[in-house]
Amino acid sequence: MSSIRKPGQPGKAMSKHEGIHPFAIPFLWLGNKKVIDRFIWIPFFGLILTILIGLLYPQKHPAPWDVLPGSWALIGFVSYSLIVLCAKPLTFLLARPENYYGEGGLLDPEFSVENVEDEND
Amino acid sequence: MIDFLQINPGVWLILSGIICALIPNSFLTQLTRKCLVTGAPIFTAFMITQIFTSDIVVGGKISIAGIDLTTLRIDSLSMVWGYLFCLIGVLNGIFGLHEKCRITDSSALIYSGAAIAGVLSGDLLTLFLFWELTAISSVFLVWRGGEHAYAAGVRYLALHVLSGVILLIGAIIHANYNGGSYAFDHIGLQNLGGWLILLAIGIKCGFPFLHMWMQDAYPKASVTGTVILSAFTTKMAIYTLARGYVGTEILIYIGAVMTCFPVFFALVENDLRRVLSFSLNNQLGFMVCGIGIGTELAINGVVGQVFVHVIFKSLLFMSIGAVIYRVGTSKASELGGLFRSMPITALFCLIGAGSIAAFPLLAAFVTKAMIISSVIYEAHHNSALYVIAAMLLFASAGVMEHSGIKVPYFTFFSHDSGRRVKEAPWNMLVAMGLAASLCIFLAFPWGGYQMLYDLLPYEADYKPYTVDHVVFQLQLLFAAITAFCILKKSGLYPAEKRSEILDFDWFYRKCGLYIVKSINHTWNALDTRLSNATRNTYNTINKSLYGIFSPIGGFSKTAPSGLAAVMTAAMLILVLILVYFVR
Repeated sequence: MSSIRKPGQPGKAMSKHEGIHPFAIPFLWLGNKKVIDRFIWIPFFGLILTILIGLLYPQKHPAPWDVLPGSWALIGFVSYSLIVLCAKPLTFLLARPENYYGEGGLLDPEFSVENVEDEND
Repeated sequence: MIDFLQINPGVWLILSGIICALIPNSFLTQLTRKCLVTGAPIFTAFMITQIFTSDIVVGGKISIAGIDLTTLRIDSLSMVWGYLFCLIGVLNGIFGLHEKCRITDSSALIYSGAAIAGVLSGDLLTLFLFWELTAISSVFLVWRGGEHAYAAGVRYLALHVLSGVILLIGAIIHANYNGGSYAFDHIGLQNLGGWLILLAIGIKCGFPFLHMWMQDAYPKASVTGTVILSAFTTKMAIYTLARGYVGTEILIYIGAVMTCFPVFFALVENDLRRVLSFSLNNQLGFMVCGIGIGTELAINGVVGQVFVHVIFKSLLFMSIGAVIYRVGTSKASELGGLFRSMPITALFCLIGAGSIAAFPLLAAFVTKAMIISSVIYEAHHNSALYVIAAMLLFASAGVMEHSGIKVPYFTFFSHDSGRRVKEAPWNMLVAMGLAASLCIFLAFPWGGYQMLYDLLPYEADYKPYTVDHVVFQLQLLFAAITAFCILKKSGLYPAEKRSEILDFDWFYRKCGLYIVKSINHTWNALDTRLSNATRNTYNTINKSLYGIFSPIGGFSKTAPSGLAAVMTAAMLILVLILVYFVR
């Protein structure tokens, strides 16, 4: 079972890499806030690049929307945003407490962060 | 002398499952059981290779009560499912090696055997038999999830048994229209039987409003159970559709709706195994739509998609299963940052996520495009299909959201939940590693996808690695990731919260239950009132009779003898009139 510490608050005896898998140590920069903040540039440059290449190599069997340059990028961006923006009204409409059906639907209540303090096994 | 090549190969797996169930628990028998779990699917695949020596092999013919049954039929379509189920049976067996559970092992073997026997059956009655066996054998995997899974298992069993019953009724009606033949070939919707069989398949396949069992039962099954369940039932249903309903127009629309609606549910769902169940539903939509289109390209796309989907979906379920095994939860709200403790599992999960999102060089890229292309090609003749193509593209962005980003991001990255756990057990890593390797190999441009295409039922001259396909697919994916980053940064991306998301099953789990309870309550109240009314009437009559005839009643009082004579005469006249008219 897992041991849980609050993020950013390592225990006294905890060394810098305690509990970290050796394979993960070279990739810890992935959790760096600066890296996360700047990650957006990778897909953004990829997007621009593929739109430009798409202008040079258009679809061989175009759909009506393919007359727009970067049509698939537009579809991807709008669709994704639309889906995510539906979350709030959907949550309001559909979300209920976890024990709503009252048949023990909670798989793992004992593992909830709210209920568990530092523990080791 | 028994001709083993006339026996449906799935039967060998079922027999192995029965042996597993019968041998007692001890270290040695446990070892034997694990050998059976991983070895029996390999033997079954070997038997298929031995039987499938020409384009179509038909065997195992028996006659029962004047009905001719063909218990074995292997052709270019069923062969793919046969091999695929054997392959995934082996991977599941390896994944579950750590689990010392006789029920899981025997259920898994019988379930996978029934699924293989079902797809390799040549008539509807044999199909029905194995259809029901998959339901009955798999419910134990749900129940192995623990006490909280009991009700979900009962609902799962009820719906699947109902599906089988509808299939049987449909088969009988269909056979009546076809001169008594139960042959399992093209069925279509020409008669009521065809519609009923489609309904039965729709339940197993997760058609809209019939899909809830999947999201209800799969997330509640055991860690190994969910992985096993995700592979067989729905894909068996897709096979029956591909066999019996190719080119049925209604499937295009059903499939398109199936691709879109789960996307919204997956977005707000917190349980990642439930998210993957919605994702499974969404992927089935692509397949159903392709079967509805029915062209050779579409069917190749469907078969290819089924093959890779079983592998990458299992991989995703395995990775989340490994997380549950180590962390104890699959709630997105309580995970995050696990790449620090489980980097290998994280890598495999990312490969699965990339595969399902159809990134170039990963599995679905070489198959899903065939389905979408087939819709666009057909739309050149029927422009209404452009709407369907747009829906599939919308759903592709949705796949990127729930399976491509949400599952790996909230599990392994996102904020650090502070959980420090061990990496997954070796057997889980081996199973995930094999599945991940297959995801890469089957999309490999030089010799990889060609091997997959060689398995397809029609000659595949589709070229997935053209500049336009790669570039436009990357446009869609990069745009979706960019949108995610922007929405996350701006705080518009919803935070994961523990909750129960209502689905269509609310209608029978809450509304239906309320109606049944109300009817029961009304009936009880009515029964009580009716009993009271009956009792009161009885008492009143009793009292009245007592008042007249009892020793203290009216008739007992003294009266003049003249009055008695008049009353006797009146009675006599009344009797005489009655007798006169009655005669």
